[in-house]
Amino acid sequence: MPRGPGLVDAFVELADTLVVGFDVVEFMHALSGRCMELLGAQAAGLMLADQRGSLRVIATSSEQARLLELFELETEEGPCLLCFRTGATVGDSDLSRDDPRWPRLAARAREAGFQSVHALPMRLRDEIVGVLNLCYASPGPLSDHDARIGQALADIATIGLLQERAIRQRQVLAEQLQSALTSRVLIEQAKGVLAERLQITPDVAFALLRAHARRYNRQLTQLANEVIAGSTEISSADG
Amino acid sequence: MDGGKRRGRVLALLATEGPGVDQLCAACVGYLPGVTGASVAVLTNPATRHTVHATDQLGERLEDLQFTLGEGPCVDAFAEGGPVLAVDLSEPQYLLRWPVFVPAGVTAGARAVFAFPLQVGAIRIGVLDLYRVTPGALPDTELADALVFADALTWLLLGNGHNGAVVDRLDPVAGGRAVVHQATGMLRVQLGVSIDEALVRLRTHAYANDQPVEQVAREVVARRLRFEDMDD
Repeated sequence: MPRGPGLVDAFVELADTLVVGFDVVEFMHALSGRCMELLGAQAAGLMLADQRGSLRVIATSSEQARLLELFELETEEGPCLLCFRTGATVGDSDLSRDDPRWPRLAARAREAGFQSVHALPMRLRDEIVGVLNLCYASPGPLSDHDARIGQALADIATIGLLQERAIRQRQVLAEQLQSALTSRVLIEQAKGVLAERLQITPDVAFALLRAHARRYNRQLTQLANEVIAGSTEISSADG
Repeated sequence: MDGGKRRGRVLALLATEGPGVDQLCAACVGYLPGVTGASVAVLTNPATRHTVHATDQLGERLEDLQFTLGEGPCVDAFAEGGPVLAVDLSEPQYLLRWPVFVPAGVTAGARAVFAFPLQVGAIRIGVLDLYRVTPGALPDTELADALVFADALTWLLLGNGHNGAVVDRLDPVAGGRAVVHQATGMLRVQLGVSIDEALVRLRTHAYANDQPVEQVAREVVARRLRFEDMDD
């Protein structure tokens, strides 16, 4: 898979999302997918600072429950947390070594089929607003090339989060971060509602939500609200 | 300070102060040097306000103004589902945004207002308003603490009457586990109740069976457990 042209496409696609009708969770989800493709990772995820001192998962390249749980664990232990605290790119190139700093994570990541993980900071001036997490099925460090592209993608995630042109004030950052996190919760709730209505799993429900949002040009978060309220019907045919 | 430690400190404070809304508001003001007063409005929708708690008359006045006028930081926070941090009400951007509230609020004595919606996703039950008589941003550490107080209030107001449970069980929902939110959505459909009620039922079941909320949520999502009008 050619990396050069794919990267340009990715930037163009992402730039397209920074317009009216923009939905931050959809954007983060699309970006996670792109990170996975462009960096040859088997899974990618984005986490945001919750402003209470912790990280929270905002989007992952796959909605599989096991992967979500692994990412949630990484908000508590591992390279992502260290990246968040230090602002440096942090990785574990060989999870079989059982790094004493993150024993639980190493074991769970290996169970999920990964041999290495790398975390890149989402940085806004002096502040770390989140982390881009990459999981690989084979061991090894992040190449210089991938580290540069990865950091560029993490920077795009930061910009996408703070879509306003002149975000100078911490207040706006604070407001945007909390809104994004709330949107994610809304979407999880909507996944549950849809899963029960259609008797499907939550990850399939998410795929239907996204497909419906794209097809009818709706904002994902707004759609999630409506699904929960029961004012919009989504059928399995939308998938 | 990391999130876990911060929650631990706030919970320890609440354990000594007592779990009522009034005590929580008073504790919040006492704990945050950057805040002179706090008020809480419990709303089902912008037009229906059930109760208000306020630590002083200014708080009551600010709540009344916003509810009557239908505009203000508290109103926006509830409608938009995100905090509204108005650092200095005398700034033009706020006058533009709330043309009637701002002059009235400033006359009443407020200069900075920080409104936090009390919510878990689509479950939106009210707003916590923190304010100060002088302008200025809320420092990062105080913002972090304020968010934790808002979480605690949300948990309290979604109450099931088991006050011990409030203090013990703050973490799972506050920690934001996806499975808990998914289970909430599923129960909303299974029981045919509002999403607020669905979360209350989930928590009540967990408390009654002495299980962590997250564990019950997993059972629900895995479809090993159905709630079909069980008597909890």
